[in-house]
Amino acid sequence: MTNKLQIQLLLLITLLGAISWGCRADGMVVDKVYHPYVLPFEREVEWRWLSRQTDEGNVLAQRAGLGWAIAETVTVEGYMIGERDQLDNFDLAAYELEARWQMVEQGRYWADWGMLFELEKQHKTSAYEATVGVLFEKEIGKVSLTMNAFAVREWGSEIKNEWESEFRAQLRYRFAPAFQPAIEIYSGEDFVGIGPAVIGLYRFEGQRQLKWEAGFVSEISHSGKDHSFRLALEFEF
Amino acid sequence: MYFCMLFGMFTSVKAAATDSVTIVLKNHLFIPAQVDVPAGKKVRLIIDNQDETAEEFDSFDLNREKVLFPKRKSIIYIGPLSVGEYRFFGEFSPNTAQGVVIAKESTDATQ
Repeated sequence: MTNKLQIQLLLLITLLGAISWGCRADGMVVDKVYHPYVLPFEREVEWRWLSRQTDEGNVLAQRAGLGWAIAETVTVEGYMIGERDQLDNFDLAAYELEARWQMVEQGRYWADWGMLFELEKQHKTSAYEATVGVLFEKEIGKVSLTMNAFAVREWGSEIKNEWESEFRAQLRYRFAPAFQPAIEIYSGEDFVGIGPAVIGLYRFEGQRQLKWEAGFVSEISHSGKDHSFRLALEFEF
Repeated sequence: MYFCMLFGMFTSVKAAATDSVTIVLKNHLFIPAQVDVPAGKKVRLIIDNQDETAEEFDSFDLNREKVLFPKRKSIIYIGPLSVGEYRFFGEFSPNTAQGVVIAKESTDATQ
């Protein structure tokens, strides 16, 4: 991949990040920062948990996923997403299919690049969401900078047809496998949040390993309470 | 097998001018098990998996994970590294498939 193309992709990420700063919409932005790497033979089950506390109340979302590599550089993952509604009922809210593509060999070029494609359908309503994202990671000694920029199209008879953009970034210090402190930024959908996170992994025998992530993100562009706490567990086998 | 392990443990290879190093994986052993590379430069590790089974190269120190397909050469790009030792192992044979990359000042690694 030429330096010129990499600079163009980096500019695209920056542009989408800048656009997402001023974007308005309806979903939850704090989720996970994706890395642009795929391992052949990789299979994983994943669980994510998010609690967002605002002045209006609490929003709870969970997702469970099953993923597997279908090629040396492509992995797909299916999710079921559950959310707690305003009546405090926790129910299935949406399904999602995701594909991640590692575009370059790790470490070969100035930075590592990947792409993410997602298609989501709301369970009970005619509302769809398609996402295309650029994944970036740059290693500087023991520090890794990961950035994601997403362009999102929402459509359906029960949702406003619109384009959105999102930006996520994570600066991670690879201190030890079980403890990698990080700072994360999420922006998009009228939301700009920043906060600390910790990432870790425990290796079992063979290819099996458990990865965990926890993060606390505070919204900084508005007054009032808006904190999100996220957890993610990923078991690879 | 133990001879191979000892051979691998006590033999080191130095990065050539092209900054490529070849490591053979045979009988679940990395040979050589120690490679010297120049600090501050990107280096290609070419790993020739001569075993009948796949292995997974894993190194938290090097921040690399890569599947090594059987009977195939795989390339892992590492660095630029600071001076120091960087351990790696094979996930499927962690007790035998072990090695270390030693990043040295350029003149030490390429002499």
